[in-house]
Amino acid sequence: MASPVSNEAERPSGSLVVVRTVDEVTSETFVRITADGSVTAYNGHVDLGTGIRTALGQIVAEELDVSFARVVVVLGDTALVPNQGATIASETIQITAVPLRKAAAQARQVLIARAAERLELPASELRIEDGLVRGHDNRSISYGELIGGETIRLELADDVAVKAVGDYAVVGHSVPRVDLPAKTTGELTFVHDVRVPGMLHGRVVRPPYAGVDAGPFVGTSLIAVDETSVRDIPGIIAVVRIGDFVGVVAEREENAIRAAEQLNVSWKPTPALTDLADVETALRANPSTPRTLIDKGNVDAAISGAAKPMQRTYVWPYQMHASIGPSCAVADFQDGNIRVWSGTQNPHLLRTDLALLIERPESEIDVIRLEAAGCYGRNCADDVTADALLLSRAVGRPVRVQLTREQEHAWEPKGTAQLIDVNGGLDADGGVAAYDLATRYPSNAAPTLALLLTGRISPEPAVLQMGDRTAIPPYDYDHMRVVAHDMPPIVRASWFRGVSALPNTFAHESYIDEAAAEAGIDPIEYRLRYLKDQRAVDLVNAVAERAGWTPRPVREEKDGEVVHGRGFAYALYVHSKFPGYGAAWSAWIADVAVNKSTGDVSVTRVVAGQDSGLMINPDGVRHQIQGNVIQSTSRALMEEVSFERGTVAAREWGAYPIIPFPDVPKIDVLMLPRQDQPPLGVGESASVPSAAAIANAIFDATGVRFREPPFTSERILKGLHGDAPARPQALPAPAPPQRSRIWENPFAKRAGIFATIAAVCTAAIGIGTALLPGRAIAPIARPDASVYSAATIARGQQLAALGNCAECHTTIGGVLNAGGRALQTPFGTIYATNITPDVETGIGAWSYPAFERAMRDGLHRGGRQLYPAFPYTHYAKTSEADLQALYAYLMAQPAVRATAPANALSFPFNLRPLLAGWNALFHEGREFKPDPARSEAWNRGAYLVESLGHCSACHSPRNALGAERREAYLAGGFAEGWEAPALTSLSHAPVPWSEDELFAYLRTGHSRHHGVAAGPMAPIVRDLKALPDQDIRAMAVYLNSFNDTATDRQAQDALATKLESATQVTVASSTGARLYQGACAVCHEVGGLPLFGTRPSLALNSNLHSASSDNLVQVILHGITEPVSSDLGYMPAFRNSMSDTQVEELVTFLRKQFAPDKPAWTGVRETITRVRASTH
Amino acid sequence: MTQTPIRLTVNGRIHEITAAGDTPLLYVLRNDLALNGPKYGCGLGECGTCTVLIDGAAARSCVFPVSGCAGRDIVTLEGLGTREAPDVVQQAFIDEQAAQCGYCLNGMIITTKALLAINPRPTEQEALAALRYNLCRCGTHVEILRAVMRASGQLTEAAD
Repeated sequence: MASPVSNEAERPSGSLVVVRTVDEVTSETFVRITADGSVTAYNGHVDLGTGIRTALGQIVAEELDVSFARVVVVLGDTALVPNQGATIASETIQITAVPLRKAAAQARQVLIARAAERLELPASELRIEDGLVRGHDNRSISYGELIGGETIRLELADDVAVKAVGDYAVVGHSVPRVDLPAKTTGELTFVHDVRVPGMLHGRVVRPPYAGVDAGPFVGTSLIAVDETSVRDIPGIIAVVRIGDFVGVVAEREENAIRAAEQLNVSWKPTPALTDLADVETALRANPSTPRTLIDKGNVDAAISGAAKPMQRTYVWPYQMHASIGPSCAVADFQDGNIRVWSGTQNPHLLRTDLALLIERPESEIDVIRLEAAGCYGRNCADDVTADALLLSRAVGRPVRVQLTREQEHAWEPKGTAQLIDVNGGLDADGGVAAYDLATRYPSNAAPTLALLLTGRISPEPAVLQMGDRTAIPPYDYDHMRVVAHDMPPIVRASWFRGVSALPNTFAHESYIDEAAAEAGIDPIEYRLRYLKDQRAVDLVNAVAERAGWTPRPVREEKDGEVVHGRGFAYALYVHSKFPGYGAAWSAWIADVAVNKSTGDVSVTRVVAGQDSGLMINPDGVRHQIQGNVIQSTSRALMEEVSFERGTVAAREWGAYPIIPFPDVPKIDVLMLPRQDQPPLGVGESASVPSAAAIANAIFDATGVRFREPPFTSERILKGLHGDAPARPQALPAPAPPQRSRIWENPFAKRAGIFATIAAVCTAAIGIGTALLPGRAIAPIARPDASVYSAATIARGQQLAALGNCAECHTTIGGVLNAGGRALQTPFGTIYATNITPDVETGIGAWSYPAFERAMRDGLHRGGRQLYPAFPYTHYAKTSEADLQALYAYLMAQPAVRATAPANALSFPFNLRPLLAGWNALFHEGREFKPDPARSEAWNRGAYLVESLGHCSACHSPRNALGAERREAYLAGGFAEGWEAPALTSLSHAPVPWSEDELFAYLRTGHSRHHGVAAGPMAPIVRDLKALPDQDIRAMAVYLNSFNDTATDRQAQDALATKLESATQVTVASSTGARLYQGACAVCHEVGGLPLFGTRPSLALNSNLHSASSDNLVQVILHGITEPVSSDLGYMPAFRNSMSDTQVEELVTFLRKQFAPDKPAWTGVRETITRVRASTH
Repeated sequence: MTQTPIRLTVNGRIHEITAAGDTPLLYVLRNDLALNGPKYGCGLGECGTCTVLIDGAAARSCVFPVSGCAGRDIVTLEGLGTREAPDVVQQAFIDEQAAQCGYCLNGMIITTKALLAINPRPTEQEALAALRYNLCRCGTHVEILRAVMRASGQLTEAAD
């Protein structure tokens, strides 16, 4: 089969088409054969990743007697394909392919009749090979020749004879998928890859009621959009708002992303939403209408007469489709010719929605369907198409909209939670006395979001009747009642693979397993007593045999920490409008291993049997079964949407994990040969028995019944041991005394401290006045830099780098050293000055003595005090020669005219003269004096570190007046919202610093034993690149002298390895652990596949072991966007993807996991709030 | 926002890119160079759909700014091979029919390429561990694992 490269409609010469007339002007084409012999088949369904394009091509090739390679299948383009409704319920092959098959057969019959006429032979004597009709005399004529220049139009007949199955040559044989060569080589196949000339990029901003689509606030919550908030972003074309719909359009995608993040949108507070922490309570409280599906025998009497009553409740969680690619679409709104490129599941229904949305006739809109990331029901594909259309209409140009991962997670219509109550019991013979099932399924069709957000449709939720799928058990119980409680959704929900049948089957198959266990009868034998469908019986027996099932009338108690078990479940997936019809039969035998200490459940093997009737493409069916087994195992073991205040909290893969490769079970697929039976849908059936088979296996392993997936380790432990934790947990050590956080917390309004400061300063003024006033030093003409040698200037440049002058004196993205950067201090905001040699606004008029006085005494040329945010207390120690070189370098730079804003300091700190008192208390303006008792390297290092390097400015604690505490030199401090850890033996690092690691860290920004430089330290290490190795080595020698520990490289490496292996994360034991595994482990797990850059080990990272969580919270929220060097790699920011609660869970887990000997951090939530508010 | 052109080598060709330095490489590859291989999946480096090779190592292009790519050698899915002349890994994925929707395929193939570069004959356990952080939602793991083993010459027809 040829790959569909374009959705063309016209060919130059004659053609034969088989059509169905819809009305006087409209007809739908199923098959087109052109004079060149090519065949195009049209189907209204779409390929959601299941390979139906291939299977439909096989069907057409078979009935037409052409080679598979000759057929092109066109799917889902509303201008070309028949309207066959949404691609749902696994019905493409079973239902939608029927007219296509007939059309192909009809075309073949017409063509063979023509050939008989032309060849003057009876039709019965003709053979067809790949569209070439041949007589016994070897004369032949092709389909193309038979069509010639004619336009042949056939009306699809209902009574066409199709081939007998026994004659199949293409159908029933495995063929490779036609789409894979393009997909493996990056050719255009996905809607994400559509590029239209002149295309712009759009992003949407969704309302705060994340994932909720019903209620009066929907579409009415927007207060204002401040367009000026994105004015600085280049290439912004439009900001669009309609009701609660908000979008931005930009020339470049990254700018659209930035604008959507940065756009200042104000929303009304969302009213209190349903609390979904307890799904069962929420579903019981949701208003519903009972609808009896079956009421057979006398259920009430049978229950009251039961020998052993059994009343059970099964709870299914909210789950996500979790498509790997967030939805994307392109729209081009032109007058009278509106085209959208979409990954929709239902092109025609979408077109109706779009017409309603923009108030244009459907005939003006063409929905062109391209493949999208697999969806297993209704995801955001339609939403994003409508979004793109609104944005394109607003700007009059084609617009591509890509939803973010966070938006897809939050807003995709969920597979709903479901609540199933079963009442019944056993009769005296151990049989099922009665079966009374009530199911609650709060879901509807999830209207296309833009219709709701713009107010085009009412936010009153529709109530659909979809909770009834497979609600009637497959077992012939004498007394049986099944009631579906139809109810509106609580959060946005729609169909998801297995729809309500998977949860309903979880109840049926768990209950019968419970009954069998109570009756002391083998669970398969027990089922067979009630299973009257022979194909079902055959399948169950075949699967039992394949798996080597040994009858187990009584559960055997298992010993050991890891216990094994085996469970069975069966389902015939009955879908579509009640009473519906069956797809393929499916049965599972699942083997599990349960770790009773950790609660970890592994599904080790699944034997999945299926009776699919005729399999068009057996390999395709096998792949579908395997896919269903893996996906539904994932759903049963780990999938559950989390909510906070009724809105969706899971917005990335850590919060909504799906099964990773190592956890995938061994799968043995058994496909019953039923090629003589009609084909059945295979897209979902194998999912349906999953959760029950696994729960039954867990029961077999542990003796405990689990009635609420997912079977996470927390649930298992709770089931096995009750609410008490499995192992006694060590009490957290007492928290260390809280240190004063004033230095970390800008603008802390702490009156007591402030009063003290004012008093101390006032007292010091007496001393200070002796030094006042600072004498003005006369301005000079800007010095001629040519008087300095190139070597001097180069040396000065190194020293400027050592002093990190540019870091403070340059705004982000601004001109080097031109000042203006705001420095937040506990006492207010100080703006760094212009230190370029501009005469009026910079230091061009400064003589060397003025410069030196500023560096040593903190006095401006004009005589006023400089604030000690400028670290003159350190610079004072610089040698005369170095200061000269630095001056030379600064004067040799281009002059830039720029005036820094005025400082914004609170009283009394806005009074500069007070600083004289401060200096008297805290400043020693002496040059560095070497210690003759120490080595040359040590002294060199001491000079670099203590003078221009000013390491202790951040790494020493400060007193209430902001002065370094000399008695605690390098004992750790805070800067710019980051902890600057202790560099002495007070360091919390689990592997003590060594000279080599200090050198590596200062040279490269990375130490194997400590991590990477981030936050304010990254630019410092970057600046240090200007210094030669021996200077860095000298700094390392000096700094290492503050560590008492003698270092032994081998011992340190051994310690590091030991710490790493002791802290390996093997079980997803908590929300925090899952967040780590989903979000962090890819780059941090020890021993993982190397990715570009470093792989910082969390077990060794100083920040995990610190007394404060600040640095960890900083990197999680803000990432590492500017590492010392790109060689180290980058870390993304999670602030827009994780809630405060999630970050707290993660931080708490990381601390406990990777610093197990350290006490839990306190105040993590406050730290998160503070760091979120900061700009770093 | 200063925008000096950034020079990078993609699939053997040198390109001058004018974009803000913090633009993720992914968008430059897709929008400036019209490459389809690397896909947006999460923007956080979690899922692996955007994987490319940077200087031979697997890298998640959604979290790698283009400024960090200057002078580096970048290879995307398109740079491995074509439909007519696919790379051995691409061919193995076709042979094993190792895709359902195929959205994750780019990351699977590139990650396999990176794995085989450092471990030409991985065990199944090593292959599973290497692909641990590449997510597939359709459940194509079995076929993908077979493709990795086939690409490393460890899957014989007899074993099928």
